[in-house]
Amino acid sequence: MPHLEIKNLVKKYGDFTAVKDVSFAVEQGEFVVMVGPSGCGKSTLLRSIAGLEEISSGEICINGRDISRDEPSDRGVAMVFQNYALYPHMTVRQNMGFALKIAGAPKREVNEAVERAAAILRIQEQLDKRPKALSGGQKQRVAIGRAITRSPDVFLFDEPLSNLDAALRSQMRIELGRLHTELGATMVYVTHDQTEAMTMASRIVVLHDGIIEQIGTPLDLYNEPHNRFVAGFLGSPRMNFIEARAEQSREGMVSVSAPGLDGSLRIKLKAGADAPAPGEKVTVGVRPEAFGEHDAGGWTIKGSIAVIESLGRETLVYLDGGQVRATDSESHEGYFAVHRTRQITARHGDGLTVTVDPNAVFLFGPDDETIAFPQSHHSIIHNQV
Amino acid sequence: MGSRFRFVNVVLYGAVSLWSLFVLLPLVWMVIASSKTRREIFLDPLGLPAQFRLDAFERAWSVGMGTFLFNSAIITFFSVIVIVVVSGMAAYVLARSDNKWMQLVYLMIVAGFAVPVQAVLVPLFQMVSEAGMLNSRAAIVLPYAAYGVPFTTILFYAFFLDFPRELEEAARLDGCGRLQIFFRIILPLSGPAIASAAIFQAVFIWNEFVLALLMLTKPALKTLPVGILQLTGEFTADWPAIMAGLSIAVLPILLIFILAQKYFVRSLAGLGK
Ligand SMILES: Nc1ncnc2c1ncn2[C@@H]1O[C@H](COP(=O)(O)OP(=O)(O)OP(=O)(O)O)[C@@H](O)[C@H]1O
Ligand SMILES: [Mg+2]
Repeated sequence: MPHLEIKNLVKKYGDFTAVKDVSFAVEQGEFVVMVGPSGCGKSTLLRSIAGLEEISSGEICINGRDISRDEPSDRGVAMVFQNYALYPHMTVRQNMGFALKIAGAPKREVNEAVERAAAILRIQEQLDKRPKALSGGQKQRVAIGRAITRSPDVFLFDEPLSNLDAALRSQMRIELGRLHTELGATMVYVTHDQTEAMTMASRIVVLHDGIIEQIGTPLDLYNEPHNRFVAGFLGSPRMNFIEARAEQSREGMVSVSAPGLDGSLRIKLKAGADAPAPGEKVTVGVRPEAFGEHDAGGWTIKGSIAVIESLGRETLVYLDGGQVRATDSESHEGYFAVHRTRQITARHGDGLTVTVDPNAVFLFGPDDETIAFPQSHHSIIHNQV
Repeated sequence: MGSRFRFVNVVLYGAVSLWSLFVLLPLVWMVIASSKTRREIFLDPLGLPAQFRLDAFERAWSVGMGTFLFNSAIITFFSVIVIVVVSGMAAYVLARSDNKWMQLVYLMIVAGFAVPVQAVLVPLFQMVSEAGMLNSRAAIVLPYAAYGVPFTTILFYAFFLDFPRELEEAARLDGCGRLQIFFRIILPLSGPAIASAAIFQAVFIWNEFVLALLMLTKPALKTLPVGILQLTGEFTADWPAIMAGLSIAVLPILLIFILAQKYFVRSLAGLGK
């Protein structure tokens, strides 16, 4: 039996449907991350689970019990908010013990729970301070501690790290991972930061306009996205998309051509995929790390370097392909993002040629569903030696 | 920029200083006049007394200033308590409701703010008298509270609209019901709003004259503004004693105001947002 199960959840605000018939299940001890663009309904979904929003229809079950009409405090969930939501008039100790105190737990028990949570989060020294006297990271620890003292069945996080600076964020990311293993607790975590999603999740739920696009492990989603949206959403810099047209297809292979690029790309369709009819619009997707340097029987993009970002261990190049443009690209100008795992000494304006290996690309059909995956993920690594 | 800036500053400070003098001089005159003799007040209204004396205070005190002071304190205290509790809870519910009938209720409360005391004096008197409450403290506390509630509700309403929702949501998850949220989370964090509402109402009630004159005729129940009136006879008036009585009346509220003005100013400044 799944630990937390959402069945056909719908949440409407007047005429506007923020969450449209969403169903998924979370197993005991899983760390599920919900990602999606702003306004896609992540917070609404999370707040519905917490009981802060009344759902329009559907069911939310924890341990098989339908809790969708219960009071927030009776659901066995604890939530950590983006802006901490600590009670300013209480000390850290009182903040963390408040739920137990309201529930009528004896003082000794409250104290023990607070001490235990404080030890896990290493905030023992802060217990008698007011929230105002804490740094952002400490405040978020206290907010997490407040959730821990309640020992809930499910932890809910709504973008808990987005108010922190980058260094603190990666530190807290590790901390949260440790916490998850240590407590073995079920956690549902909302973020729009894909690094958080990729690094922390046991499974990722990708939401878009109130529906689930795909659920899977981080690498599943990265390697085998169901559609163009998921493919473009995960990965930074995002996948390069090239608008193309299908030509003839035969024996599970399809040839595609794109304006401005010589020759056609012969791509192997995934098993069971319908081949696009000749002339239909398709999209070729190339991960930044999948661009090759030697001709592998595909396209060759000759361009010049528009921007180069040297990160020491790796290098990102934004390539101006002349007439050939990436659609929907990270840079609005339609530059191609190229990733290299080594240092490159080049400057703005220098020429650069990259190749597109037909075995290393994604292909999206006319309805944006994925119809071809790269042949092997090793070939990607191969290409960039 | 520097000299121009300084010039503007000088003008502003000058204007504010003048205004302060304008407000403060009558107060100073009141205190000085209370230690003059009756003759001196009329012969040399602006001069200093020949001799500093306190007998006007004694005369004022002897007509029962102590009782009036006590009555004023009790009535102000209870009125303010009723006002703060009632408006606080009303404003909270109104600020958190999307119901259009609730919006109407709020509008009506705002409209109530616009009704002048004098307009309803007669019916109010009849109501209180029919209820057999004349010459009781409740007869004055209830109308004061009724007059204070609209303004205070508006003040609290604005404050609660800006109150961070997450805190209430966190409290709900922590197991608080509506009342617990109000008393454990909202009220403790409403200090500035409560302080300014309380001061505002306290000053008004402490100084209120017409209603008190009408409702309280027994000397034992009179408040300061009405009580001081006893120092004026039909043909004569003991002006130094009246000034002494007024000084006694002004002192407590002035002290409270000075002590709490920080909150008062902050909360009123917040209203303009
Ligand atoms: N109280 C409300 N009334 C009406 N519409 C709302 C309300 N709350 C949210 N919405 C709408 O529901 C949609 C989903 O909102 P939600 O807050 O869940 O987005 P989100 O995915 O959390 O976005 P973000 O990443 O920006 O936090 C949005 O289009 C929003 O405008
Ligand atoms: Mg959100």
